[in-house]
Amino acid sequence: MRGRAWALVGLVAIASLWVVGVAGQSTAWAPPRTAWGDPDLQGIWNNATSTPLQRPAAVGEKQVLTNDEAAEFAEGLAHDLNRDRRDGGAQIDVNRAYNEHWMDAKRLTTTADKRTSLIVDPPDGRLPALVPLTPERDAIRVAREESARRFNAGLPVSYLDGGLPLRCIIRTDRPPYLPTIYNNTYQIFQSPGYVVINVEMIHSARFIPVDGRPHVGKSLRQWLGDSRGRWDGDTLVVETTNFRPDDGVLFGNADAETFRITERLTRVDATTIDYTFTIEDPRTWTTPWTAMIPWNKTDEQLYEYACHEDNFDMVHLLAGARARERAKR
Amino acid sequence: MGVKRIVTAVAIGITLLGARVSAHHAFAAEFDANKPVKFKGTVTKMLWVNPHAWIYVDVKKPNGQVERWMIEAGTPNTLLRRGFTKSSLLPGTEITVDGYQAKDGALRANGRDLTLPNGQTLFLGSSGTGAPNEGTSKK
Repeated sequence: MRGRAWALVGLVAIASLWVVGVAGQSTAWAPPRTAWGDPDLQGIWNNATSTPLQRPAAVGEKQVLTNDEAAEFAEGLAHDLNRDRRDGGAQIDVNRAYNEHWMDAKRLTTTADKRTSLIVDPPDGRLPALVPLTPERDAIRVAREESARRFNAGLPVSYLDGGLPLRCIIRTDRPPYLPTIYNNTYQIFQSPGYVVINVEMIHSARFIPVDGRPHVGKSLRQWLGDSRGRWDGDTLVVETTNFRPDDGVLFGNADAETFRITERLTRVDATTIDYTFTIEDPRTWTTPWTAMIPWNKTDEQLYEYACHEDNFDMVHLLAGARARERAKR
Repeated sequence: MGVKRIVTAVAIGITLLGARVSAHHAFAAEFDANKPVKFKGTVTKMLWVNPHAWIYVDVKKPNGQVERWMIEAGTPNTLLRRGFTKSSLLPGTEITVDGYQAKDGALRANGRDLTLPNGQTLFLGSSGTGAPNEGTSKK
């Protein structure tokens, strides 16, 4: 009963945030416009947060933390990650020091609205139930798992076992943009008819036409998909389809044929974009699902991600695997 | 703040991130907590590999032999954000390495702390940005 009451409070809180946000656009704060009249989303943004995609089971139905809980959480996180602590034994000590080298310090807090999950729909903050895989798709899933298992065992049979990030093809630079532990930086550029999102992680730029042209044909498939944008008031709405089927990291087992993502970017104040995305794939999830992630303006620059610099390891990985095989014989 | 509330908040905090200390990269998988190493060496090169940079160090043993060690560092763009550039650790620089050796016994180590001859520590944690010229570690 108490949990249900909390859930109601949370729902009301989130609803009011949205109402305030929407109302704020029309009355309190007018987002800037480009010289040619489009809403101006340009700048460098960071989406780091420690709010997880899905609501953890232990918080029950609680949708929003209190101020005290959120502050306590941030303090606890900073304390846990503080490499100047030397307690806990060698392993914990070095894990702490080692990981801290590349953590994005901006990820030490929850979202500003203190939600317990990035997913806002379904209301339970969890991914919807999965649709059972067809035998063909299940075979693909098993093959991918086998590939990863070979690689992790140090016995890749081919460069393909290394996966897409290792091969510098795609990482977290494809929509939906989810926060990660570092390089959470995005730069938006606009020109008449185009919006470009340049993503620091692995170094790619997504060109989004906003001139009303139709999608390309279904046969042209791309790692970043095929995006088309339009303006809905102050909001950029981007629909993306045509992802590649040979991918394997498009949310695990999503079907590239039916996977569709709709992103909404709205500048809600001078330093914040609300980035909301809805994912539909009736072959994978029983219902669509939606997440909301704030993008915070940053003074930091976006650095080049030199993905292949000094990247000679593939030769070593494959040579090592062959040597291990010979040794076993 | 009452005890109960603190307990709740801590519980939520721990749950939100899960195993936050070992979240990204399990040190234990690559390096041996029972093989701490501390030595002085001379930097020969640094490779800015994503997602882990590597520092190559020559270590002169008492018998005159030179061991060639590789020290694992953070990810390139995070190093840049901390003010650590390609000119921060040039070949010839003497550093003291405080870390743990690879499990397989190879001359590879996790660099928990790297100290310059003047006492400045690279990879400072929360007490600084980690920039090479930004003061010394608190420890």
